Parts: sequence; C-alpha cells; structure tokens
Amino acid sequence: MTGGREVSRVAIERIDAETCTGCGSCVDSCCMDVIRMDDEGGLAMIRYPEDCILCHFCALDCPVDAITVTPEKTGPLPLSWG
Amino acid sequence: MKEVSTVTDVLVVGGGMAGSFAAIRARQQGADVVVVDKGHVSRSGSTPYPKNMMVFDPGARGHDLERWMGEVALTGEYLNDRAWTEVVLRESRQVFDQLVSWGVGFRKDADGRILRNWGVSGGIESVQLEADSLAPTLRGQLLRHGISIVERVMLTELIVADNRVLGAVGVSTINEVVHVFTAKAVVLCTGASSFKPYGFPLGSVTGDGVAMAYRAGVEITGKEFYDTHATSARHPADVRYLSMERPSGQMPPLGLRTAEGETIELPGPTTLLPEFEAHAGRAPLTPVGPGPGAPSPCDAGPGPDAMVGGAGLGYGGVGEGIWPADGHCGSSLPGLFSAGEACGTRVVGARYPGGGWGVPSAGVTGDRAGRGAAAWAVGAETEPIDGGIVAALTASALAPLRRNGGFGPDWVTQMLRNTVAPYYVLGIGKGDRLEAVLTLVGFMRDHLVPRLMARDAHELRKAHETRNMVLNAEMKLRAALFRTESRGTHYREDFPARSDPDWLAWVVLADRDGHMTPARREIPRDWWPDLALPYGSRYPLAFPGEDRPDETRQPLGAPAQGDDDGRQGGVAGGD
Amino acid sequence: MRETIIQTDVLVIGGGMAGCFAAVKARAAGRDVVLVDKGWVSKTGETPYAGDTTVFNPDWGHDLDAWLTQVHTVGEYLDDPRWTAIVFGEAYERFLDLKAFGVEFLEEGCEPVRLAHPLTQLEMPDAHKFPPLVSQVVHWLPGWPAKLRKAVLRSGATIVDRFVVTELLVQDGRVTGAAGFDVDGREPRVIRAGAVVMSAGGGGFKAIGYPTHGLTADGHVMAYRAGAQVTGKEFLSPHHTNPEAPGWPPIYPVFASGHSAAFPGAWHDPEMVNAEGDEVPVRGMAWHGWIDAEWEAHEGRAPVRAAGPPDGQVRPLSGPGGQGSMLGHAAGGIVPVDDTCATHVPGLYAAGDSCGTCFVGAAYSGFGFATMHAAVTGARAGLGAAEYAQGADRAAPDAAAEAAAVERALAPLRRAGGFGPRWTTQVLQNTLAPYFVLYVKQDERLRAALSTVEFLRDHVVPKLYARDDHELRLAHETASMVANAEMKLRASLFRTESRGTHFREDFPHRDDAWLAWVRLKDEGGAMTPFAEPIPEEFHPDPALPYEQRYPMRLPGEEA
Repeated sequence: MTGGREVSRVAIERIDAETCTGCGSCVDSCCMDVIRMDDEGGLAMIRYPEDCILCHFCALDCPVDAITVTPEKTGPLPLSWG
Repeated sequence: MKEVSTVTDVLVVGGGMAGSFAAIRARQQGADVVVVDKGHVSRSGSTPYPKNMMVFDPGARGHDLERWMGEVALTGEYLNDRAWTEVVLRESRQVFDQLVSWGVGFRKDADGRILRNWGVSGGIESVQLEADSLAPTLRGQLLRHGISIVERVMLTELIVADNRVLGAVGVSTINEVVHVFTAKAVVLCTGASSFKPYGFPLGSVTGDGVAMAYRAGVEITGKEFYDTHATSARHPADVRYLSMERPSGQMPPLGLRTAEGETIELPGPTTLLPEFEAHAGRAPLTPVGPGPGAPSPCDAGPGPDAMVGGAGLGYGGVGEGIWPADGHCGSSLPGLFSAGEACGTRVVGARYPGGGWGVPSAGVTGDRAGRGAAAWAVGAETEPIDGGIVAALTASALAPLRRNGGFGPDWVTQMLRNTVAPYYVLGIGKGDRLEAVLTLVGFMRDHLVPRLMARDAHELRKAHETRNMVLNAEMKLRAALFRTESRGTHYREDFPARSDPDWLAWVVLADRDGHMTPARREIPRDWWPDLALPYGSRYPLAFPGEDRPDETRQPLGAPAQGDDDGRQGGVAGGD
Repeated sequence: MRETIIQTDVLVIGGGMAGCFAAVKARAAGRDVVLVDKGWVSKTGETPYAGDTTVFNPDWGHDLDAWLTQVHTVGEYLDDPRWTAIVFGEAYERFLDLKAFGVEFLEEGCEPVRLAHPLTQLEMPDAHKFPPLVSQVVHWLPGWPAKLRKAVLRSGATIVDRFVVTELLVQDGRVTGAAGFDVDGREPRVIRAGAVVMSAGGGGFKAIGYPTHGLTADGHVMAYRAGAQVTGKEFLSPHHTNPEAPGWPPIYPVFASGHSAAFPGAWHDPEMVNAEGDEVPVRGMAWHGWIDAEWEAHEGRAPVRAAGPPDGQVRPLSGPGGQGSMLGHAAGGIVPVDDTCATHVPGLYAAGDSCGTCFVGAAYSGFGFATMHAAVTGARAGLGAAEYAQGADRAAPDAAAEAAAVERALAPLRRAGGFGPRWTTQVLQNTLAPYFVLYVKQDERLRAALSTVEFLRDHVVPKLYARDDHELRLAHETASMVANAEMKLRASLFRTESRGTHFREDFPHRDDAWLAWVRLKDEGGAMTPFAEPIPEEFHPDPALPYEQRYPMRLPGEEA
C-alpha cells in the first residue's frame, strides 16, 4: 500500500510565484528534499509537502520572503503522551 | 543506469560538525578527502540547530576537572566512559578556539564578553552559539580546505571485503544515479537517530551510519537510553528549534506544574519526569519557573503552554552508536571510523548532564577520527573492489525503484512511528510491552522492509531511511529488554531500581548469524561507585516504584546537587 | 449532585432503525417508552447512510430456500438459519410499517421498484460455484430517516436526544434502567425502566472518512459489563478507500440520491489490477471482496487499482478507511437467548447491530440486510421488552447504586488530569490500523496488539480525563473502543481457523471442527471466550468436498 500520505499536512504552505526569484536557496535549505525547482520557469515549487518537518529554514533563508510556513497545518502527530 | 565512481583516501559520511572536523583534520594530515551528504551541507542533520556548547576551561575559567568529572559520573549514573569524558572535556577548549578562529559567532553581553550559562545540574558551564552561524561556517571551511563535497547522495551500504572497509555505495536523491566510492578509510559522521518527528527538525537523522556499520558486523552501544523532548500542546509540531528570539529555547524549565496543581522541581535536564507524571495520570503539565520555558508556539507571547510528550520521537542522544575501538574512534572493522553522534563514546553515560555536549563531542571525536583515518589511509593500499560485490550492492540499493509493487515508505514509517511513539513503549518500558512491539517491528523488518518500493529518487532515499529506522527500532527494543534494571533515561517499570554491580555495564548489540544479539560489557572496576554508600547517595534521583530502604522516598525532583556559587541555572555575563 | 430521574416502562437506547421500531412497537403494546440517543434520533449511527432495505416477499416471486441458501453458503454456515428465516419472514410486514410511517420508496406504477442484487449484473468469475444471488432491495427516497423520528413521536414515546448512556443499572440480576449524562451539561440523569432495549448499533474505531464515529460499540460493552454475552467479534465489515483522498467523500451516499449498491466502487469493484499489472484473482467474495486487495498488499503487489470512491474513477485502493467500518454488520453483537431478542440479563433486550443473531454468518451476502434485520429485531425486542415490563415487579430503586453509577459517568470530569481521550483513541487506532493485525491475522501479532490494548484498559482508561461534557462523551467512547478492541482480538485469537471475513495467516483454511459461534463473557473480571456449537442440522453436508462446501478460495487455496 502506498498510502500514509497525510495530505492535510501542508505546514509549508506556499511559495509565492510572483515574489520568487528562482535563487534556489530554499532547495538547499531543506534537508528533507521537499522543495525543487520547477522545470519550466525556474521557480521553486513545493514538490513533497508531506515530508515537511517544520524546521522553517526555507522561509528563513529565502532572501525575498516568498515562503509561507503554517505550523498549525499538520496532521495528527504520534505523540508519546498527551 | 548511470554510475559515478569516486576514488579518495578518506570518505567522510555526513557534513555536519563531526564530519567537518574529521574532513578538515584528515585533509590537514595530507589525505585526499571527500565529504558525502544526503542533503545540503550546512542544512543537513542536527548541526544547524545547536544553541549551547560546553567548554571546559581550567585556565581562563578556573574549571575543576575532578569536579566536572564527578558531575558527569553522577548524572550519567556511572555509565560514562571516563576516558572519553576526560578527553572531550580537555579538548573542548581547542574545538572552541578553532570555531572562534573560523568566525563562528558566540553570543556576547553588552560589553562584548562571551555569555556563559550552566545546566540545571551542577556547575558545568557552556557558551551559546549564535543562531545559524556554525553550520554555514563549517561549510565554508570545508571548501577552503579543498575538500570535495558530494551532496544529495545517500549511502546505502559499506563495501567490505577481506575484513576491511573499501568504500561505500549510494544513490542520488534526485535522479537515478548510483555512486560508488572507493576509499581507504571511511568515517561515519551520520549523526543520531530518530523516527522523523514533526516539528523537532530531526527528520533527516535516521541513524543511517549506525545501520550500515551494524550490517557490516560492527558493535553498537547505548541504544536503551531515551532522549525525550516535550513540546507544546497548542502546536506540537512547531517547536521553533531555531528560534532566533529566545536565547536558549531548548533549555528545560525549572519545574513542572501538574494537573493537580502541584509544582515539581526538575532536578536537571533530560529526566523522565514528564513521562512519569503522565504515566501517573497527572498530565497536562505546564512548565514553570524563572528559567527559560519550554518551546512555545511560534506566535504565542512569552509563557509556556501545557506540554505534551515525546516530540523527539525516540531521538538517540549523545554517546550512543558505534563502539569505538581506540582513541581515534576506529571500530572493529579496519578502516572504519566514526565520530559525533554516530560514535558510541558513552561520554555522558546514562543521562545527559546538561546542554552543550553535542558540539564539543562532535568536534573532538571528529578531529581524532580524522587523524586516525588519515593515518590509516597513508599506510593502506587502495584495494580494487570486486565487481560482483559492487553489482550486488548496487542492485539492492536500487531494488525499491525496480519493484512494481510493495509498501510505500511513508506508510511503513507511519506504522513504525505509531508503534514506537507511545511513552509506555520506550519511555516507560516493561517486558511484555517491549516484546509485543518487538513482534510487530520484527514483522516490519522481515515482511515490509524487503518489499519497500519507491517511485522516484526522493522516495528511494525514504525507503532506505525507513529500512534504517526499522533497524534502529529493533536495537532500541532489544537493548531496553536486555537491561533488566533502570538507570538514567532507561526506565523499566518491572525493574524500577538500579542494580549494582550487575548492571554496572554497557549493552552492546551485534549481528551474530543474522540475529541481533545483545551482550553485557562491564565497566572498569575503577569506575564503580562506592557500593558501601547507601543506594540513595549513589542515586539521588528516585524512580517510581523503587524501594529505597535507607531513606524516606524522595519524589523525582529532589534538588540538584549543590552549586558552590548558589547558581541554579540561568544566564550570566562574564569572561 | 442532584440527578434528574426519569421513570418509564421501556427504555430504548439508540434511535436508529432498530431503536425506532422498538420504541414504536413497545408503545403500540401500551407501555410508556423513552428513547434516548447520544446524538439526534434519526441522524445517528449508521442508519442515515443506508441506501435501501431488503424485502422478502413470495408474492414478488421470491424463493425462501434460494435466499436462505445464499446466506448459508456465503455466510460459511455460521449464520443461524432460524434467525435468517425470521428476518426474511417478517420483512414484508416491516416494509409496510415503514410505508405507514411515511417513508417513500422508489415506485413505478404504484409498485415499489425492486432492485436485484447489484452483483448479478456483473460477470463474476467462478460465479457458477456459488448459489445465485437472489435477494432484492427496495430503495427509499431522500428524507426517509426523519419519517422514523416522526413515527416515534407520533406513537407517544418520549425522545431524549444528546444523552449519553454510560451504564446499565442492574439489581438482583435484572436490568432496572440506565445511568448517563447530558452532553449539554444539564443535570445527569438516571432512567428507571421495567425493561431496556439496547439498540446502540455496532462499533468501530472512528475511521476517518467513515461517517460513523459515534458507533463505538457502547451497547455491546455496556451489556457485556451487565452480564450479557457478546458474539461474532472476529468478523469484520471493512470498506476500502483511496490514499489520495482517504477521508472524502463518505463512503455512503449520504443524500441517497442513487442506489447505493449501484454507486460505482462504493463497495467493491471486482475488476482490480495489482502492481504487476495482473488482474487480482477474485475469490468469489467479491460482493465483499475484502481479502483480495489485502492479500495483494501483503504479498508486495500493492498498489491495487480499482474503480472506487469518491467518484468511481480508477485509482489505487487503500486499506479500509482507517479501520473501515468494522461494524460487524449483523454478525456481531449481544447474544439473544430467544426469539424475543431477550439476552442473558433479564429485562435486557437487544436489537439491530447491537444484536448478535448471526443471521448473516461469517460474511455479508446481501445488500440492505442490516436495515431489515434492525427493523425486525427492533420490533421483536420492543414487543419483548414491553411484555417483560408489564409483567415485572419493580424493585425499589437503589439510590446509592444509582448515585455511584452517575459518579462513574462523571468521573473523567472530576479528574484534573490524566490521559486525553483523543490521544488515547489515536494510540488505539494506531495499534489496530495495520492490515497485519486485524485483517491478515496471526497469533503473535494479535497477542502483540492485545498487550497494548490491555495496557490501555488497565492503566490509561481509568485515568481518562475530560475538560467538558463533549470530551466526557469522547472519554466514554474511548473506553468502549478499548473494550471492543479487546473483544475483537480475543475472539480472533480464539478461532484458530479462517472463515468468512476472519482470516488467519497461520490457520488459512476452514476447519469444520469450528462450526461454532465464538462468544465472550465476563468470568470473574476476565474476558473469556468459548465456543457455542452450531446445531448439526445446520452443518454443511460433510460428504461434499471442501471446495464445494467453501467455494470461496482463500489466499493459498488456489488450485
């Protein structure tokens, strides 16, 4: 089964295409390989949102503030107690 | 299928703190060095995040070695390897100086003096790294030293023949390319292990190096200890590990208020106190105290929320990992070295004595491993690698891509996480629960992992990480089952007390004929606590369910060992 | 805390199809009736999502023997043919009742449209090995559940909505009422009654996407705790979903705008293709075909693609939405001791998915069966309870026992802390979700899951806490789910064979030594399984070869 993707988990919510300059810093910033450059326009795109771990580096490293990370938008976490 | 071959003297796996120190030292010793990382060096692993750095400085700060050693032994409940503790203490100042010389920023007070803080237990002092200064600086130094960096390649297996390591095989995480590294020495600096918690930025530390070493027949130690991290109930995934605003966002609070309104003083960092309180039915817990609070939600004002548990999701801490065979972090496999959180130095023993040990430990072991690897490489010949071995390793590296059907890594990881996350598995252990989870993990290992499939290179990385996480889970469960006592951050409900002298020993795991087999390794007698002392003096921290015959039971939360200056945690300026 | 006490003759717990019939019939017998529901009568449980109901009627050309044979064979001889005959025998009367309530049916020329079993329209491989699928359904028009509610009100029964019953009151071995609390925070209540009908539905684990999160086996668990027995817990009624949108839309067409069985992929598309591009061998259980996709996944041949929800497009299937419905439609429930739906606890009756008549056996063979079973057993239970209440001497109420029950109901609110019900439910879901626990079963894995469930039962459930009345309801549902999980695991461990929707990897064949129902009872605090042999007259002909007795091939049984 290839399921298990929590598509509601879009903690990295948006890369604003109008603001993005295609510098690629965010691609480097992401240790989970969530972001890639798209094929055509050379802009950054959220390719694997389900792997976002909320480190915020992409947003922090972006020189033009094009990235929105919304921490509340995560799926149910397997917490060890609660 | 494209294949890229790289030949070098020393292959350093992982470009974080440990890997950078190892690579740079080896380079300085004249070796050809390649650093390979599955992500982007300076944004991979745990190195982007540390706040504190322990620096032992008898000269300028008047620190007393015996006192610090005593502190570590007491909090580490005698399981720290004293030789390594002393080495890391003594050499931490050199690491600090090296970082300063490279331009790494340390926080200073208004007068420009480096800020000092100390852990809640005793007088172990640390300095504070400026946010996001360490990792980028290290990357710059790697490049300055002429070290080749190969990024976004995940190693899947070591190449071993004739009882020597000869290199490693890996896969690109971007496209279907296999990488074959031929090296005389390999230094595993792959960091700690976790089950990819959300929020705690440990998604990339999946114990890959320890897994490869285990599969190559090397011993692993320290897997029974549980480095837990709480988070906030409001946004459990948002711990803002790298928050710039708070000076030491990851320092623990000084106390906890239970649901019943009782405030319990925390005796120190990294205890299982939150787990004990939750188990007793006294959650929700709210951090309190004059010290820095627990991680807060990103947009909340000051003031902590109720805590919830285990966001670290089984994060493996400092000092567990590959058993070091010598002072250069070599292993039982000639040519294989390890450093940082992949190296099982047991430098702090059964419990972490405070913030800041990760960075100096990584620097010291990295430096030593680099020296050792370079020396080994000088003496060794490059061995040609049997094509058949490479073909087999390549095939298994790519196997998930070749499979039409099977199990997706996301699903298997989710099943694994769900199984090991509850506190009553790894946090508060008990024989029958550990065995139960081991049954399920065994099924994952035997039935699901061999059928992992990937649709692209990104998923291929995840498939291999999943495989390594399942192995890590098995290690943690078996070690926890084997150690039939409680000590430090290993707690067994069915064996709630420390058992001296039987368990004045380390647990090592190794593959024997395809079975993960635990064994005891006694600590040197010199390092034993004085058994004539009452149990309570040897172990001030009381565990639930312990029978303390020599004193009235003190709840967990007994005051920390006294500090001469009356300092009980906090931040102060000073030289 | 002062309780508001309600007194009545017949208390009906759960206002779905079964409960509404029970209430109406008990009223018709002249008794006072209170119908309680933790939600809103007619919007609750699985009833609102039912598309249709089965009606047996010889005047419509139905052959009872053919219908019984269908159930008996597909149910793999674990049906109780006495109950099957009762349900089919009384279906037409209940159908007329529904019409009298005002429920409108799809009609053509003043005659209800009768829709054949949907799978008769498909080319099924191996179809010749199975008895013909002959049952039919009639299809109601939208808005029908509201007619049920109106019928209850018109009958003069009292409806109490948003009231969670947490415990049955038992005195001198008989049921004397129930205790619980009001979800809007009004005073807690005790309901004293001469007899009780438990019609609280089946139970699952709040599968995301399956709109039956209120069905948490409360009825089964309360009755069990009061001394009743429970049966059929090893069987499942799973439903697949898809990983791209696992939670949407609900599997059932809520708006009943089309015949549910004709909704493409709503149940199961027999044309499945595995990851190798091969057709998935359909094992003749296609009308519930759950094991086929599970087995392909287990063998490493997922993704399995089929036309499925939400829109009948071909996409990968995924394991049953969360835990599917796992309601054990009409297979599991409280054991009835006679045909009035009385249980082992005098004064307690059971109906609908709460009643383990075993009328379909080990696997569901028809569409619309559960709703008619609910109507028939609801009516019988209502009449049975009415008669019992009339004849029973009312014991003097035990105020202390009632107060203690109310305190137990409120206990999570009193606790300052402990374990939250949402976390506990998530942990339970995580334990039961993997297919290799409750779908492809095996001894050690079942025991491993049971170990967790026992820990939850002993350590976590007693410390559940709630911050408000809404969470109080969640806390009680969580406790029920943990108990239901224990029932499912123990029953699955006990039956060391495979049959119907109970599949054991370690016992992958049917074993006719197991022609018995597995029941669970509380013995000194321990949940104890035992086998109740099926009367020999209902056994399959032992002279028939295994392949003919069991036309459905289980994984590993292919020729």
